[in-house]
Amino acid sequence: MIALSDYLMVGAILFSLSVAGIFLNRKNVILLLMCIELMLLAVNINFIAFSYFLGDTAGQVFVFFILTVAAAEAAIGLAILVVLFRGRRTINVADMDTLKG
Amino acid sequence: MDAVIALWTELPVVIQIVMKIVAIMLPLMLLVAYYTYAERKIIGYMQVRMGPNRVGFFGMRLWGLGQPIADAVKLMFKEIIIPTGASKTLFLIAPMLTIGPALAAWAVFPFDAGLVLADVNAGLLYILAMTSLGVYGVIIAGWASNSKYAFLGSIRSAAQIISYEIAMGFALVGVLVAAGSLNLGDIVNAQQGSVFHWFWLPLLPLFLVYFISGVAETNRAPFDVAEGESEIVAGFHVEYSGMTFAVFFLAEYANMILISALSALMFMGGWLSPLPQNWVDGVFLLDDGFQWLLLKTFAFMFLFLWFRATFPRYRYDQIMRLGWKVFIPITIVWIVVVSVMRVAEMPWWFN
Amino acid sequence: MSFEKFLFYVFAAILVFAAVMVITRKNPVHSALFLVLAFFNSAGLWMLAEAEFLAIALVLVYVGAVMVLFLFVVMMLDINIAELRAGFVRNAPVAILVAIAMVIELVIVVGPQRFGLDEVAAPAAKPAGYSNTEELGLALFTQHLYAFEIAAVILLVGIVAAIGLTMRRRPDTKSQDPSRQVTVKAKDRLRVIKMDAEEKA
Repeated sequence: MIALSDYLMVGAILFSLSVAGIFLNRKNVILLLMCIELMLLAVNINFIAFSYFLGDTAGQVFVFFILTVAAAEAAIGLAILVVLFRGRRTINVADMDTLKG
Repeated sequence: MDAVIALWTELPVVIQIVMKIVAIMLPLMLLVAYYTYAERKIIGYMQVRMGPNRVGFFGMRLWGLGQPIADAVKLMFKEIIIPTGASKTLFLIAPMLTIGPALAAWAVFPFDAGLVLADVNAGLLYILAMTSLGVYGVIIAGWASNSKYAFLGSIRSAAQIISYEIAMGFALVGVLVAAGSLNLGDIVNAQQGSVFHWFWLPLLPLFLVYFISGVAETNRAPFDVAEGESEIVAGFHVEYSGMTFAVFFLAEYANMILISALSALMFMGGWLSPLPQNWVDGVFLLDDGFQWLLLKTFAFMFLFLWFRATFPRYRYDQIMRLGWKVFIPITIVWIVVVSVMRVAEMPWWFN
Repeated sequence: MSFEKFLFYVFAAILVFAAVMVITRKNPVHSALFLVLAFFNSAGLWMLAEAEFLAIALVLVYVGAVMVLFLFVVMMLDINIAELRAGFVRNAPVAILVAIAMVIELVIVVGPQRFGLDEVAAPAAKPAGYSNTEELGLALFTQHLYAFEIAAVILLVGIVAAIGLTMRRRPDTKSQDPSRQVTVKAKDRLRVIKMDAEEKA
């Protein structure tokens, strides 16, 4: 049988990988967004696993809300990215050092 | 007969499943092949010409019935050209990504009462998920070809598919509110009664939106700007040749058949007989059964061809306007109406 | 090893592999495609945990919509990849170190000695008629109704914000207004004037 710890460890590895991803690609906004999605996925796996093993739907409800909010976040994040690229022709985080639009 | 059934139950489950999949896929592929033939023939007659009528079998012409086989053989033996600068792996994965979901969606499709490969509870959701995956093949094909025409075509078609998927999804939400289930078999059973109990009547706007969105979703005329052979040559599959092109072609037709079959299932009562129940009870071929589903599916498949022969192509901004500003509002309003009908227990439809 | 366990390891292995590829690929398009693979495999994992509604919803929402959006943006923007990759090698040792430290710490916390099968027993199989969608729907529309409505509002705000940010009216485009096209009458466009025939000079 699959143990709860198996799910949790997969989630842990995924979370650590996405943290490493943020370190590695810290100049590329798109990859940063992708790493955040990966992180949320790791969290969601934990929620689902706990919901399954404890027999409580609250975990799945949480995942549902995380999915919706993350979808909205991705849409707005990418929209900001597109606007940024139009203005500056770059998405390098290091170049975004003024507060003027 | 008993011996056959005994032999069948003896087989390992995996082999049973594989055989069931083959039993669905083989007729489907044959249907796709002859759908292309029917398309050329029907559009031919609509435009007062003959259509293919030369290739037959054993020296007989037989109205050109051998044409799809000849086409398939030709495409199989043609060289697959991979453009220089193309991303090779992605270029070859793209056709498979297009046809995979188109075929996978059939897994939950019920052909008759209880006759289904996987009787899952969330069948409708599964079908939505599978149809939403088809867009990847298009995007990846356009990008991996390293060609401007292909890329333009793929961006157009992907934007179109995604836009119409929303309207389609909302139409299906209406169906599931009316049926009270995501299981496709239960959806058909909820339509029992007579022709006027089928969901096409209470969900008429959703039915129209669903089918038109289905036409747009498969990039068929009059919504075929993605192909637009007069402007961007052939859209996302310009660079494909031979078998890789054939796979795209197969996927497009398989998707059309899927949309037709789903329309028949969800709005036209699936395998239910249109004749009154007390007339046809137990009468061969007139009683509820697979033949009715087939007949309804063929009717919708014919509509696809009829549209193509009739309507001029939409302009791209008109397509987007229709999807976002007409269809989505209609579906949202009608979902509210259906919900009210459902809560008020409208005696006629939702017993 | 049961079949379920085998499936679990297959999904988990592909998931981790895809995650590694996401963070190390040079081309962001490849990263996005590997992220799609990661979502797909975690949907498989969720399916094993009997959360089929959310598993399919993950495929529908993430793979079918969000990742397509990502791919669109990545493909359309003309990004200088080399410039963005600067510092990749320099940051790699730190990243690997942090990742390994985090994995070790987390495994100590959530590992088998605390959450193994002996501590948390596997739940009994659900009865045949059990519908995950129904159960989730009941919880969502009773206990969590307000949260559900707030989520809907957040999505609406997301739509409005995304359109508001990226919409731009370019003055030089020749766009048409369909409603004006439809309402136009012949007499607005064409004027028939009575005049006498002119004699050639």
